[in-house]
Amino acid sequence: MCEEGTRSVRARGEPSPKVIEPAPVRRLTVGLVGAFLWAIGLTSLAHPAVAQNEPYEDVREEMVRRYIASVHPLLEPIDDQEVIEALRAVPRHEFVPRELRDAAYLNQPLPIGHGQTISQPYIVALMTQLLELDPGDRTLEIGTGSGYQAAVLAEIVDSVFTIEIIEPLATSAWARLRRLGYAAVRAKHGDGYFGWPEHGPFDGIVVTAAATHIPPPLVEQLAVGGRMVIPVGPPFRTQQLMLLEKRTDGSVAQRSVAPVAFVPFTRGEPER
Amino acid sequence: MKPRPLLGAVFLLSAAGLGYEVALTRILSIAEWHHFAYMIISVALLGFAASGTAIALLGDRVRGREPTLFRAATLLLVIALPGSHALAQAIPFETFELLVRRVQFAWLLLLYGVLAVPFFIISSCILFAFLLERDRVGRVYFANLLGSGLGAAGVIGLLFVAPPGRLPLLLTVLVIAAFLLALAPGAAAGRRVPGGTTARWLAAGLASVLLTAWIGAPTIRVSPYKGLSYAMDLPDAGVLATAHSPLSTLTVVGSSLIRETPGQISGYPMAELGELPEQVGLYFDADAVSPVHRFDGSLEPFAFLDYVTPALPYQLLDRPGTLVIGSGGGTEVLNALYHGASGVTALEVDPNVLPLIEGPLGAHSGGLFARPDVTPVVAEARGWLEAHPDARFDLIQISLLDSFTASAAGVRALSESYLYTRQAVELYLDRLSPGGALAITRWLRTPPRDAIKMFATLVEAAEQKGIRAPARHLAFVRSWNTATLLLTRSPLTGEQVEAIRRWVGARGFDLSWLPGLEESEVNRFMVLEQPVYWEAARRVLADEGSRERFYDRYAFHVRPATDDRPYFFRFFKWASLPRLTDALGGRWTSVVEWGYVVLIATALQALAAALLLVLVPLLAVSRWKRWRAAAEPPDTDEGSWPPATGSVVLYFGLLGLAYLFLEIAFIQKLMLFLSHPVYAIAVVLSAFLVFSGLGSALADRRMGGRGTRGGSGHAGGHAGGHASMAMWGAGRLVGFVVVLIAALVGLYVVLLPYLFSVWSGWGGTARVGLSLALLAPVAFLMGIPFPTGLQIVSDRRLPMVPWAWAVNGAASVIAPPLATLSAVHWGFTTVVGLAVAFYAGAYAVMRGGLQRMDPARGQLAEPVRAVG
Repeated sequence: MCEEGTRSVRARGEPSPKVIEPAPVRRLTVGLVGAFLWAIGLTSLAHPAVAQNEPYEDVREEMVRRYIASVHPLLEPIDDQEVIEALRAVPRHEFVPRELRDAAYLNQPLPIGHGQTISQPYIVALMTQLLELDPGDRTLEIGTGSGYQAAVLAEIVDSVFTIEIIEPLATSAWARLRRLGYAAVRAKHGDGYFGWPEHGPFDGIVVTAAATHIPPPLVEQLAVGGRMVIPVGPPFRTQQLMLLEKRTDGSVAQRSVAPVAFVPFTRGEPER
Repeated sequence: MKPRPLLGAVFLLSAAGLGYEVALTRILSIAEWHHFAYMIISVALLGFAASGTAIALLGDRVRGREPTLFRAATLLLVIALPGSHALAQAIPFETFELLVRRVQFAWLLLLYGVLAVPFFIISSCILFAFLLERDRVGRVYFANLLGSGLGAAGVIGLLFVAPPGRLPLLLTVLVIAAFLLALAPGAAAGRRVPGGTTARWLAAGLASVLLTAWIGAPTIRVSPYKGLSYAMDLPDAGVLATAHSPLSTLTVVGSSLIRETPGQISGYPMAELGELPEQVGLYFDADAVSPVHRFDGSLEPFAFLDYVTPALPYQLLDRPGTLVIGSGGGTEVLNALYHGASGVTALEVDPNVLPLIEGPLGAHSGGLFARPDVTPVVAEARGWLEAHPDARFDLIQISLLDSFTASAAGVRALSESYLYTRQAVELYLDRLSPGGALAITRWLRTPPRDAIKMFATLVEAAEQKGIRAPARHLAFVRSWNTATLLLTRSPLTGEQVEAIRRWVGARGFDLSWLPGLEESEVNRFMVLEQPVYWEAARRVLADEGSRERFYDRYAFHVRPATDDRPYFFRFFKWASLPRLTDALGGRWTSVVEWGYVVLIATALQALAAALLLVLVPLLAVSRWKRWRAAAEPPDTDEGSWPPATGSVVLYFGLLGLAYLFLEIAFIQKLMLFLSHPVYAIAVVLSAFLVFSGLGSALADRRMGGRGTRGGSGHAGGHAGGHASMAMWGAGRLVGFVVVLIAALVGLYVVLLPYLFSVWSGWGGTARVGLSLALLAPVAFLMGIPFPTGLQIVSDRRLPMVPWAWAVNGAASVIAPPLATLSAVHWGFTTVVGLAVAFYAGAYAVMRGGLQRMDPARGQLAEPVRAVG
């Protein structure tokens, strides 16, 4: 499932020094850690897993009811049933640091270490909805983070690819996704700038890693009719979502979606 | 007068104290963000006030033991100063996480506590010295101010050579010296020191020094939400070099994954034109990054620079002589060269940037700045442009000087920026050749604000410069994350307008203003829900009335910044608060700048903590009653208003506010003249403290030792009061001083702008000298009222001395955020006016209350008198 060290092909086909190739030792370590975590996963299966999850099922349902499925006058509504079902299905508390589990189902972003965050549930839902996915679509995520977005995608589509540059995050996210049964998610540790051309083109791309520009190779790997979504803002504050769509003529349409609708002009002010 | 080791120790401790404060500002700016640095230090400084309250409460337990306590406290400080720094680095406080994790508030409180300890101890030592030298408090105050002033200046000098994280350890040397002085005979002001032999004290001192050496200097823990931390998390990242100056700490990071561009590279055909050149990142204070590109003399790899919005001016200028303001790693220099600039003058304010690029990064940067067509200059832009009235450029380029995160979070909301004021733009226009252009690029934010304010600034500056139809001189181009604004000296020609149209169309950028722009042309590529920028541009350009209405009604403060209110980054306005909460509910804070929120928080918490520290003894502690009985005996002070307690609070509180308000106003005024905030702070802080120290020495000669109690032959029953002649002297002195201060600062408010523009061409040293000469008389006068009042309290209500100190300390902590808020909303002239009003109030209290305190009563039955 984990394609450690998968080589991404650079535009001019040179061997890329930028892709991080784990040394055999590291691969072994990752394998051992993975096996260990898998064993833990098995142990928890041995105990009734349902009982363990139960306390969170109600709060998750409550989260979906309050923040996702309900129509709020200020917010772009989430009306894609697939997306709502996905958020209902993914055990978000598994994706946050242990000491923050009780906050997992609040509608707020949470820190996951290394200056990275897990987005608030509503934003995840909105980003997923904006991709307008069908079950057969291929999706790519740049910046795996906790793996939550990948899991949500995996609830909707069969093929999810995700790349994370920070190794500890990548390792723990793989283990977590495996443990929770998201076996279809294919993850790699490395540089997401050049996408994953072997598996492209993609119908949906989510770029969570902040950058001063949208990597051109990612736009390249967007399928015709495909959509790319990028959250923009400082840590813990998504101020806008950038939405790119590749038209049939290959040109790219860009649109800004504000998660919170706010018009800075006074309403009713006469136009001049 | 024989030498007083005690005063020497006070001098050294004060130097260590202020040095530590300056060092902390740097350390916290690197670890977190600089506005949080001020918030945290503001509370830490309440350690000063807290020590006053504590000693006031301990009262007679302290009395008589001052020499021992002085030594013990100094000894403790040897460990506490580096120890508090080391502990603070171990506290996992994260400002950004305050929004989502409550535990961060606990860490913040702990951080306050830990950082306050050294200030508490230093302040206690100074108070012990006041109590020991009770007849000559002016001298202690003199040593205190002189030490503080030189400490501040010394540490700013040290920052050129030592990394900020080492400073606490270096300052400990001063504390050790102070400890040795405290052991010297005579330090006890003629008192016997119980508590062991000198040998024992020395042994304890040695042990402390060893412990301190063991504590050492930990590395500064940088927040994981800062640019440097993100870069260091990249798999192949490594620090290539570092450099320090009082302005910033620079870290050079090498990694194949650093890819910084000045905004979106829109439509860049990477497969065709190649990947971005290899970069290393220059990180300023661990956040804002400026890339240094690999350069081998060939400009071909920089084709991507024609795909960013800052390339706009090159579409209409042919071989422009270019001035780049804030050249950093050189991206805009390369942009100019790529587009065929005939020459580039590169201004960079940070003195460490060029030596790094030319030195350790020389092979990588390929001698970019040594090219004959590139002239690097280490200077702040406004000062340099003022000093070169004959310089003319075809293009002045200012591009993205802060990081995207800093911009998006609004962390600089309350930092002054004299680069983006209306007067600054007027100056840029003056230095343009007839066909020249000014180009300014800003990060875009949601909801829109920065680019709109910048546009308005360009329009108003153009009008001030007599440009009749600014609409024909302006272009506004945006990508999804940047906006580049263009203002030309001459109206844009039809050809130029078409050139811009073609380029923008080819790149997929959007036009928000261009002469003759049609509604159908806006908001086409990067589609916003509403064409906000275009609408804003039209309203600003329409007419005076429409523009004013727009300023008033827009949800953010987009009125241009001026030199009197140089807060380009402040966008919040209180009038919009109901609208924001209506529209956004609890999320309204998400569109407000951090910097503003933090300042309000700083002011509120300082106020709350100060009230707590000063009022708790009044309300809760039974010991207070005894103390109060001693301090304010019944049946005295008739005819005095306010009563003694109120007088002390008001007098020393008002003095604290007035002093800091003026200090901050002068820092702001000199920031432009001295070209950088850090130099302004260094000069003003040091000059204020040193010259005020001299003033307090004069006050000591005037008042001290003469006995203001009315003894020493000065006694005289004054009609209706108990005041002595010396008392009337004190009142007259303060009155005289206040009138002089008011006259001087009034004169400065009127004259300084004129003087500064005349002197702006002078060299750096000369400008510092002129500043010192201007500050000296005011600061000297400002040093007089405090010791004059304190001598009265010392003579008549000795137990109230610590309390007066506490009140003054608390006021000095509340004052900076209040002064900044006043400056933001009403300008610096108002800040100066308020300061004068506070001084006048203090004078009234002196005449009405302080001076009328009973001179004969309220004395403690305290047998030990100073040998004086």
